[in-house]
Amino acid sequence: MMRVLLVEDDRELRTTLRDALALEGYDVSTAASLSEGLALWTHARSGPDLVVLDLGLPDGDGETLLAALRRRESTPVLVISARQADGQKIRLLDAGADDYLVKPFSVGELLARMRVALRHRGTALKPALTRYEADDLTVDLAAHRVDLRGEAVHLTPTEFKLLARLVRSAGQVVTHRQLLADVWGEEFTEHTHYLRLYMGQLRAKLEADPADPRRLLTEPGVGYRLAESA
Amino acid sequence: MLGLNQGLYTVIAVPRRASWRGRVAGGAGAALLWAAAWGGASFLDHHVDLANQAMLFVIASVVASIWLSAPAAFAFALACMLSFNWGFVPPRGSLAVDLERHAVLLAAMLAVSWLIAGLVWRLRAQATAARDAARWAGRLQALGEALRDSAEPADQARPVSEALAELGGAPAALMLLHDELPPADSAEAVRVQGAIDADERAGLWLCLRQSQSFGPGTGRHTEQPAWYLPLRSRGGSHGAALVRLADPGSASEICRIRAQALCDLLGVALQRATLARQSEAAREMAQSQGVRNALLASISHDYRTPLAVILGAASSLQDQGERLSASQRAHLATQIVDEVRLLSRMTDNTLQLARLDAPGVTLRLDWESSEEIIGTALAHARRFDSDHRVRARLEPGLPLLRCDAMLLSQLLDNLVDNALKYSTGPVELVVRHQAALPGETSAAHVVIAVRDRGAGVAPADRRRVFEVFQRGHAAGAPGAARGVGVGLAVCRAIARAHGGELRLRPRAHGGTSFELWLPVVPPPAEAAE
Repeated sequence: MMRVLLVEDDRELRTTLRDALALEGYDVSTAASLSEGLALWTHARSGPDLVVLDLGLPDGDGETLLAALRRRESTPVLVISARQADGQKIRLLDAGADDYLVKPFSVGELLARMRVALRHRGTALKPALTRYEADDLTVDLAAHRVDLRGEAVHLTPTEFKLLARLVRSAGQVVTHRQLLADVWGEEFTEHTHYLRLYMGQLRAKLEADPADPRRLLTEPGVGYRLAESA
Repeated sequence: MLGLNQGLYTVIAVPRRASWRGRVAGGAGAALLWAAAWGGASFLDHHVDLANQAMLFVIASVVASIWLSAPAAFAFALACMLSFNWGFVPPRGSLAVDLERHAVLLAAMLAVSWLIAGLVWRLRAQATAARDAARWAGRLQALGEALRDSAEPADQARPVSEALAELGGAPAALMLLHDELPPADSAEAVRVQGAIDADERAGLWLCLRQSQSFGPGTGRHTEQPAWYLPLRSRGGSHGAALVRLADPGSASEICRIRAQALCDLLGVALQRATLARQSEAAREMAQSQGVRNALLASISHDYRTPLAVILGAASSLQDQGERLSASQRAHLATQIVDEVRLLSRMTDNTLQLARLDAPGVTLRLDWESSEEIIGTALAHARRFDSDHRVRARLEPGLPLLRCDAMLLSQLLDNLVDNALKYSTGPVELVVRHQAALPGETSAAHVVIAVRDRGAGVAPADRRRVFEVFQRGHAAGAPGAARGVGVGLAVCRAIARAHGGELRLRPRAHGGTSFELWLPVVPPPAEAAE
């Protein structure tokens, strides 16, 4: 059974989410504050498989907990935030959180994000996801090959690196900063206009209507998300 | 008036000191005139009597007085008389005078020459004074215009202080109050133009606090080598000027009057700027009060309806759950979910409006592509647009936009949502590049239009729809969508926060086009592969 640690200070929401997750077959432990979450994390014999972390906690910064989690394992962390906490949300994603949800959200949305996060679990230890298939698009990172409707698509080296980075986190948001650092290098993390240009080129090659993308999705102000593979 | 005129002659109207070239030329001209008179008198010698010859020398000295200075003209007249006496009045070759025959002639000759030289001199002085007054009036007018057009009159301190320096003949200094007069003298409360020492600073503060002038001719602290003049306006003084005097002994009344006029001009401009600042602050306060009231009204009105629906559906599930059919329960649950989404949207809008209305709001600006912004709006719309009514059309080669993507996304979501609610036909998202606004000097824009074929907005409502908590008349109709009270207001606030504008345009064959005009910012250099 998958173990989930839910850190949420609002009692009603915590109870609702716990019950909903339990109904889906997760083993849920809950914490109402950072300190409680940290204590649960440290003293548990084996850590949870996934952490759902609310940002509006009474005793401080979600970054502390994330740092503690990241010291030991690559347990996926799903951040729940209110819209006003945009800055903190992006900081946490940059610091290694896996995905985010903006309140209010439906149980269905939460479950979908959790499924994606669990699928990526342990990517730091196990071989990373190297193959992506959705509809008529196939990306094989090992073979360095992209096929659309059965035909090979020619991508420039930068376009390929960008697509590969998104494939490795398929279904999850990748922040601008992460993309720029991984594709161009640490010194280019402010050059978001590079991203706009190359994402535009990728869409022109891989989307039926680049203005209405179905694969290379934009998360405004945060980053990009490659639609979850079927 | 007499004293003023005397001052005019003694200080202002002294003709500019002639250069040595001018003096040599003037002297040479006078010598030529004298030679002509001498020649004429010699030519007429023995043909006419002595009085006629004397007239030639009188004419010479009168003509020379037109350009010679007064002492030189008097000396030249004396020289003419003496040389006439020596050369023509018997006994010739001597300055001796036959008292009985020629004394009156020579005296009259000298008196007439001097009288006319004096009159000419006075006339010239008046002309110079008039020219000077006209020049000064022009200068005062130019400064007045500069002060009137300047939003920050303190920026005009330098030209004013230069004009004051010219009046005093030595560097002048100004001390301008930033705002209200502080209870104690403090360097932070004022801006000083020009260098001053501690005594002068104390003098300026005294002048400012008492709103009175000090220095020569003012009747107060007349021993000072400078004038201390307040920058007066009706409400008191807004600063003080230090006009150092090159020659305190001969400082003229007219100069001080002019300096004070200049100071008052600056004082009035400073008062006007202070009042403008205060009224702007009051207006902002009233506006923020207005927005707060509108937000409260919006919350109390717009929020009640969805809350009522949610409470109704939820309590029905709670109380009657077991007696309801599965499809009825599902319907109630869907109602709750829909209303909560609406409430969530309204909350986002209301919070955003309050945030954008606060002073010093900062946007998270980044380079964004129109394609992505439209793509996001389409992706969001698709959740509520089961009939695929929303279509997008983008001009090729659009420039990157400098904007806050989350805010722009919120704006487009609101507009698309409205268009879907208030119309039944297709909804178009059109992005085009506008080279420059016709008839305006503004830069290029990207125009993002959301167009529908709905009933449109009545002309009377076209301005009102952007106000907080306003809806078109159609909104009151049964079945009309709810909860857009702050939607368009926040859209306009977002557009303006980006230096752009949101406009409403009725379409030719019915329907409405909401157009977001965003200024194009030159993008950074493109990335190399």
